[in-house]
Amino acid sequence: MADYKEAYLATRPKTLDPAEYFNLSPDYRRTEEERAALRSRLKRHYLVQLNNPHRKELIEDPALTRWTYARTSNIYPNFRPTPKTSLLGGLFGVVPLFVLYFVFKTDRDKREDKIKAGNYERPYKLSS
Amino acid sequence: MLKVLIPTIMLFPTIWLSSPKWLWTETTAHSLLIALVSLTWLKWTSETGWAVSNMYLATDPLSTPLLVLTCWLLPLMILASQNHINPEPISRQRLYITLLASLQTFLIMAFGATEMIMFYIMFEATLIPTLIIITRWGNQTERLNAGTYFLFYTLAGSLPLLVALLLLQQSTGTLSMLILQYSQPCTLQSWGHKIWWAGCLIAFLVKMPLYGVHLWLPKAHVEPPVAGSMVLAAVLLKLGGCGMIRMMVMLDPLSKELAYPFIILALWGIIMTGSICLRQADLKSLIAYSSVSHMALVAGGILVQTPWGFTGAIILMIAHGLVSSALFCLANTAYERTHSRTMILARGLQMIFPLTAVWWFVANLSNLALPPLPNLMGELMIITTMFNWSPWTITLTGTGTLITAGYSLYLFLMSQRGPAPSHIMGLSPFHTREHLLMVMHLVPVLLLITKPELMWGWCH
Repeated sequence: MADYKEAYLATRPKTLDPAEYFNLSPDYRRTEEERAALRSRLKRHYLVQLNNPHRKELIEDPALTRWTYARTSNIYPNFRPTPKTSLLGGLFGVVPLFVLYFVFKTDRDKREDKIKAGNYERPYKLSS
Repeated sequence: MLKVLIPTIMLFPTIWLSSPKWLWTETTAHSLLIALVSLTWLKWTSETGWAVSNMYLATDPLSTPLLVLTCWLLPLMILASQNHINPEPISRQRLYITLLASLQTFLIMAFGATEMIMFYIMFEATLIPTLIIITRWGNQTERLNAGTYFLFYTLAGSLPLLVALLLLQQSTGTLSMLILQYSQPCTLQSWGHKIWWAGCLIAFLVKMPLYGVHLWLPKAHVEPPVAGSMVLAAVLLKLGGCGMIRMMVMLDPLSKELAYPFIILALWGIIMTGSICLRQADLKSLIAYSSVSHMALVAGGILVQTPWGFTGAIILMIAHGLVSSALFCLANTAYERTHSRTMILARGLQMIFPLTAVWWFVANLSNLALPPLPNLMGELMIITTMFNWSPWTITLTGTGTLITAGYSLYLFLMSQRGPAPSHIMGLSPFHTREHLLMVMHLVPVLLLITKPELMWGWCH
């Protein structure tokens, strides 16, 4: 690492600061160098695409692609029926149907009984 | 009827015999002329309920607005497809327009049918061109999955319908709607008769789609190219609605009790699919789920079988057809520029495309049912009739309206407002063709404010 030179107008990252350099363990140094190499490779790839004068389309962001894939197409393979998910599914998908059936049926049966007994007063005058 | 059907069939020679330079111009002009001729159907001169061309093809106040919508949509579909089909060889382009035209023919014959079995055959026949459009011209690998779901959900729902129609033919001797509308309401008590009732309706409920069986719709709306999405959202869902209104005439006394589960699924579906819309990352998927939500309202309105319910259903079907198709066109403009359907990728568009921001604005306001647009009128009539059916439904439909407003505004704010990210700055500007497309979608919606009697069904 003795011959690392910063890029023109860029600053040296703190992890490669020679003043601190010799206090760090060789393992830590190696991992930090690898990460810096990875970052600079990605940045170079992006800058090459950005400054390409013949580029006509958007630069693809792989993180966005992964996020979109996870949010839209990769849901079911990662689903597992647990007590929590079963409870949520039942609470929002099954129970409301029965509750609503009960509510509507009793309400309309009450009205039907009133109509059959002749007590129902129509609240609105609706045409045809 | 023939004045529209014969030109539509003659669209096939136009497609295959045009020179490549003039193909798109000629087909667009031809289909636009068909659309203008179809507007003559709106002049209602018949004294009876049906304007009968011959024994097998007739229009009535239900099918007339849907037929005009179908004919209006074909030039719009051809306009919208010009850009993405351009790189392909000329015979494949011709094949694509042929599929659209054949879909149009089947749809005209379906909406104009007087025999239920012809309606059924055309209902099934529309599946084939749509399947080919989805699976052949879709853009992602998921299109195969989408085509499979679309085909098999609809087929599984409609096979019982075939059996039910054959049973009906057996017992009444005819399947002509002109005759069946006068049949006596039959007292049907046994379990077999209840299954027959369900068999008649399930096909249309799957097509509409009803909440429990809606799974094919997000896939089938997202994967195809823009013309496929447009025709699916605007017209094919309405086939289900039209079929349901037709069948309801014959199913009367049983429907009082047996409709409960489906009405409840429809009402709960409004809220559930509306909530799912708020969680979507994919633009077309959001519009697809909003279609499910609106059509659930239509299904609820039809199943309660009141005049206001039918009227509200027809108005909402027409208005939703135009607005949903407009939204898919707008989504396609974003897709053609960024090649991605992710909403957060194409955000802050108002800064760069101000006129298109107007179309996004109007389309989203229509989607959230702003007065005085016909979307609101249809929704209001359905909500009123459901309130009459049972006052407790107002909790569900009111919450549904709130959630609809929420996700429509979310869609608008996400795509238009906010700072434009740097990668958006370089997107190519809008073509006149795309602005024309949007105007042709939105101006009919605005014009229908002035004469809603065209859509009112039998209540005028």
